[in-house]
Amino acid sequence: MLRASAVAERAGVPTASLVCEGFRGQAATTATGLGLPGLPTALVPGHVDVQSAEELRRNVASVTVDAVIRNLTEAPARVGAAVVEPKPADIVFEGDLDEVNRFFYENDWGDGLPIVPPTPDRVAEFLRFSDRPGETALGVLLPDRRRATIWNVAVNGVMAGCRPEYMPILVALVEAMADPRYGVEHSGNTPGAETLIILNGPLIKELGFNYEQGALRDGVQANTSIGRFWRLYLRNVAGFLHHRTDKGTFGNTWRVVLAENEDALRRIGWTTIAADEGVLADNAVTIARYTGGGVIASVFGNTPDRMLPYLADSLVTKVGWELLFTVGMGAGSQRPLLILSPILAETLARGGLDKQQLKERLFELVRIPAAKLERYVGEWTNLVPGRPTLTELVKSGQIPALFAESDDPERLVPIVCRAEDLMIAVSGDPLRTNAYAFAHNGILGFPTTKPVRLPAEWPRLLREARAR
Amino acid sequence: MESSLWVLVPAGQRASGEWIDDTLRARAEEKGLLARSPRAAEFPRQRVELIRDADPVAAVNRLYRERGWTDGLPIVPPTIGRVDEMVAEGSLERHAVLGEVEPLGGVATVEKVAANAVLAGCEPAHFPVVLAAVQALLDPAFNLRGVQTTDENVAPLLVVNGPLAARLGINAGWGALGPGWPANAAIGRAAHLVMHNLGGGWPGAVSFAGLGQPGRYTLCLAERDDSPWPPLHVEQGYRVDQSTVTLLRAETVINVTGGLDELASVMGSAASLFGILHGGKPTVILSPFTARRLAGEGWTRERVRRELFARGRLPADTWRRSWIHATVRASDWPDWAIAAVASGAIPAVGEPDDITLVVAGAELPIPQHAYCPSWGHPPCRITREIVSR
Repeated sequence: MLRASAVAERAGVPTASLVCEGFRGQAATTATGLGLPGLPTALVPGHVDVQSAEELRRNVASVTVDAVIRNLTEAPARVGAAVVEPKPADIVFEGDLDEVNRFFYENDWGDGLPIVPPTPDRVAEFLRFSDRPGETALGVLLPDRRRATIWNVAVNGVMAGCRPEYMPILVALVEAMADPRYGVEHSGNTPGAETLIILNGPLIKELGFNYEQGALRDGVQANTSIGRFWRLYLRNVAGFLHHRTDKGTFGNTWRVVLAENEDALRRIGWTTIAADEGVLADNAVTIARYTGGGVIASVFGNTPDRMLPYLADSLVTKVGWELLFTVGMGAGSQRPLLILSPILAETLARGGLDKQQLKERLFELVRIPAAKLERYVGEWTNLVPGRPTLTELVKSGQIPALFAESDDPERLVPIVCRAEDLMIAVSGDPLRTNAYAFAHNGILGFPTTKPVRLPAEWPRLLREARAR
Repeated sequence: MESSLWVLVPAGQRASGEWIDDTLRARAEEKGLLARSPRAAEFPRQRVELIRDADPVAAVNRLYRERGWTDGLPIVPPTIGRVDEMVAEGSLERHAVLGEVEPLGGVATVEKVAANAVLAGCEPAHFPVVLAAVQALLDPAFNLRGVQTTDENVAPLLVVNGPLAARLGINAGWGALGPGWPANAAIGRAAHLVMHNLGGGWPGAVSFAGLGQPGRYTLCLAERDDSPWPPLHVEQGYRVDQSTVTLLRAETVINVTGGLDELASVMGSAASLFGILHGGKPTVILSPFTARRLAGEGWTRERVRRELFARGRLPADTWRRSWIHATVRASDWPDWAIAAVASGAIPAVGEPDDITLVVAGAELPIPQHAYCPSWGHPPCRITREIVSR
């Protein structure tokens, strides 16, 4: 909400932002990141969700109202002095490996695991894998409002344990992170969703990504270190830190990169995730934030008719409050992800389905009673203001008509707005009939795909890197 | 042979990321005060740094002094281990934010407060008291901005009550306001170093106290737990088995030997002028000898306050001839003071309850009391419970 206030203040309109007690630190930091460290806020004691109407009225009357009046009638404090940070090539520390690790960790630059010291030599080696100079800006990242550059991509790549030849992927990832469509500024929200990176293209094989058994497990350098890079970059450049800018209630560990099994896709004539998202480059990364997911074990059956009810049910059972992103905030932005093992994809293809047809069949099945959807977004949570019914939302044009085909509260409605909103990837143990479903975080981490640009000298550079 | 120390940076960083030392250096340069802190603002903008030296403790001391992070006395290096031990004794999580320390607005996280408590020489067991004291300092009613920047010499006075005082050895008896008592010395010093390093109250640069006072190093004592009357924190509504710290503003500590007449005489003097102007809440530290004698005669705390209120009056003529009277606008004086002028004398406070009565000091038949006039607006007496882990 502070972002709306910042826009209004910039336009010369006084604002008061109501901030619950536990969020004051985050508000101050966020306001600074927005370039308005003096952004006026009004404290609401405690948290409104657990207060009775009477308690809330008392708290607002005794504390909040005065602050709102001051917010709206006094000029906000002026911006202070600039933040001083080391320059990119400054040597910030010299010491042995243990000392470097302790130093980085204690200064909040590490994730708790040992890092590879980002020495000038190592950073230079990474920079060779980009045709753009180190100072090239890739965007400005909230909440710290720090510039993403080729240089700091390389530094964090070194720290994460990446190999230099991963650099083109790292740069593409940060370009995706900086894309407003993705919404990196939401990365510290309380549900604590985690990003999944999906890789497409020949780089999967050239750089040795795992795309078979254990595709989502650590243990392969390319998948693992790039997943770790993502989190380190969120920490060190965007500025998401535990207990400060990160308010994820639980969160979870960073996810390793998911590489698709493109051999399997080719065999059955299915498109890749990148192509589905409209990016036809040789290599591409897709990022999206998922609140959670789970395995769909032992999918039984040899025809789509037998397999689809189980797959669809699993997609349904993975979502709850996330339906907000289907019919509430950012309506139509819920993009669940279904990962099929190759043998499942091949069986469905043999049953006559291409990927689009599969999505359409699933769309018919991923349905829940309308009353339950309304309960998720309007009764059990308080995330949609005014608690409109689905019928009202359809009337106001916010969601498709199929959500209000009758007034029957038990009528079935889908968990996404369109068949295309479902995402389907193929990876994992080729011969095991398991799948995996992820619930998506909507506009707070919307799927964003970027091409991976290779340096002009890629073949030579890769050959040299492999020879080392 | 070189050895090393991992130490935390105890300086103030604003929520917006700036370090207050950049402002402090600019102010110190303007005022020609860089000799005190020649390396002000010269430090790595990080949470920790590694000090390598043949004598790293001496090196940290030299470095921190030159960066302006001490009160002039040697400090204990805030090593990661010592800060961890300190944090572990508090009831709040390391990153919890207590508030922003005025005037420069360094964020008082538990960890930053702990680093300054280590500097001050606190034991980990002292930390809950320090946290409660800092929470009190950050109460808007204390007006820390005013205390830090005024040309007056006011200092926070900390009074500890409850069972924790004796357990921590916070002295309430012999020489309680003097040297020799580690807990009194370190806890009060920690509060001042928080004001100095997180709030930026550097003397002459940001803090403009004309003369200062030794109480700005530390001013902390306990109330005697054998006082004949209910203790201060019980008067404030706490249970006797709770431990609290009460924060007061003290312009200075004036010794008064004798009885209530002598106390009243000092209270009815120019010492009370600022308190009258701002409707302050001064502190009277009463000797246990006198307290016991009065209690034996049936006196209550309330009666002592009423007597001091009735007898400790500044003659209206003295007031009219005073420097302050000539300096401030007539409308600045509180209504009760103006009303009292008509009666010929002004009480030191607006009402008896504005006097904070503390029983402390040695059990001496030559009773020594203290009068601590107050300064600043709004009148305050802030009590916080000390929450132990």
